[in-house]
Amino acid sequence: MMNQVDEHEPTDIDADDAVARIRSLTKRFGQLVAVEDLTFSLQAGTITGFLGPNGAGKTTTLRVLLGLAEPTAGDALVFGRRYRDLGDPAHRVGAVLESNDFHPGRSARDHLRVLAAAAEVAPTRVEDVLALVALEDAADRRVRTYSLGMRQRLGLAMALLGDPELLILDEPGNGLDPAGVRWLRGFLRRFAEQGRTVLVSSHLLAEAAQTVDRVVIIDRGRLVTTGRLDQLTAGGATLEDVFLDLTGPVS
Amino acid sequence: MRDQLRSELIKLRTTRTTLGLFAAMAGLVVLAVILHSLLPAESLDDPSNQLTILGRGEFLAALFAGLLGAMSVTAEIRHGTIRPTFIVTPQRGRVVVAKVWVSVLVGAAFGLVAGALAAAVGSAVLGTRGVEITLDAGDHIGLVVGSTVAAGLWAAIGVGVGGVVRNQVPALVGICAWLLFVEGLLAGDLLGLGTVGRYLPGMAASAISGQEPGTLLAPGVGLVLLAGYAVAAALIGGVALSRHDID
Repeated sequence: MMNQVDEHEPTDIDADDAVARIRSLTKRFGQLVAVEDLTFSLQAGTITGFLGPNGAGKTTTLRVLLGLAEPTAGDALVFGRRYRDLGDPAHRVGAVLESNDFHPGRSARDHLRVLAAAAEVAPTRVEDVLALVALEDAADRRVRTYSLGMRQRLGLAMALLGDPELLILDEPGNGLDPAGVRWLRGFLRRFAEQGRTVLVSSHLLAEAAQTVDRVVIIDRGRLVTTGRLDQLTAGGATLEDVFLDLTGPVS
Repeated sequence: MRDQLRSELIKLRTTRTTLGLFAAMAGLVVLAVILHSLLPAESLDDPSNQLTILGRGEFLAALFAGLLGAMSVTAEIRHGTIRPTFIVTPQRGRVVVAKVWVSVLVGAAFGLVAGALAAAVGSAVLGTRGVEITLDAGDHIGLVVGSTVAAGLWAAIGVGVGGVVRNQVPALVGICAWLLFVEGLLAGDLLGLGTVGRYLPGMAASAISGQEPGTLLAPGVGLVLLAGYAVAAALIGGVALSRHDID
């Protein structure tokens, strides 16, 4: 198994420059090793695709990065600190891990109000993010009545409440229609062009190839490769070719 | 902290859960008081029995406040809202403290309504049966205040149970089973434990409103003991929830 780490793009950026930095991260659940000795970092102003087969450890890594789970070894830092030590996390990091983290009987607007209060965000911001994801007209409906695409947009609205510098999205394209996918791609591009940073996990490689600048590919909890997308696919290979070549056949 | 409290209050007000629990409690209070008031008239003259009947409000308020407190944690885990909650506020202790205070506040309101409702319905039903109410104003104040305090503290116990158990159905079933069966068995001394039953949290709650003065603790002692249970449960639940990975 080759480690196609890009020579020109050191993966180990200085801590000062890295928006997020995973260092020798290992996470075990009993006997199961979900993530093993994983190291990568995120550069400001980029969209990084976090790719890997199902069960590769992507979501586990994101949970540790966001302080929801404790690392077994190593660490995961955002803006140079552990997530829970960020003074004002909602204004620095916005994240969506699951597409359905809603109370079915609560409206979209009320979900946003709940988090806006906890994040100390002005109530007007709730209306702003509702408009941003085009949910104003459905804002008072219970989330029970929402399609998957609407839930994805509501999740994004929640992540954007604090106007964060880093956006972490787990499979955000699931359930979006073609127009929604294109809108999301454009949105993430504009977000990164403002110097902000996106980490987006996905197994939709064709879509990822159109969206991301850099990729981090993991398989069975370990780093397979990381680098700029254009360099990985320089020889005319598609991202899919690179990915399947590195992660092996479906087991 | 004020914003955290506001967030938890919005959570309670924006689903039907709180109203559903409240309606179920109020309905059961009326039903329980009426059923108890149908006992043979001669036993109803005893002020201690009258206190027990009117005290059904306190018992059911403590139960439903406990469920409310537990659900403030377990419903978030069940629906996954715990993830955004902890992503926005990674200091989980602050979230638990806010849940405890808001649950205590709403639980106390449950207790106030249930205590007053039980006293009103009980007096009315006993009155129509021609039973003379021998409880004085002090007894009535004790019932309502005791119910309010007991339910508020039981809400904190519920938050603690929710933090330890985390899974919604076992947490709610556990609280119901404990208050409806386990304490009754222990206090009824079926297990030969002597007077240990009166130190249990449900019995301490009933003691606050002055019920069964010969058997239960004095109101002040019951209050201190139940407050101790509430603080201990909230602390243990907070630590358990802070240490555990969120899926």
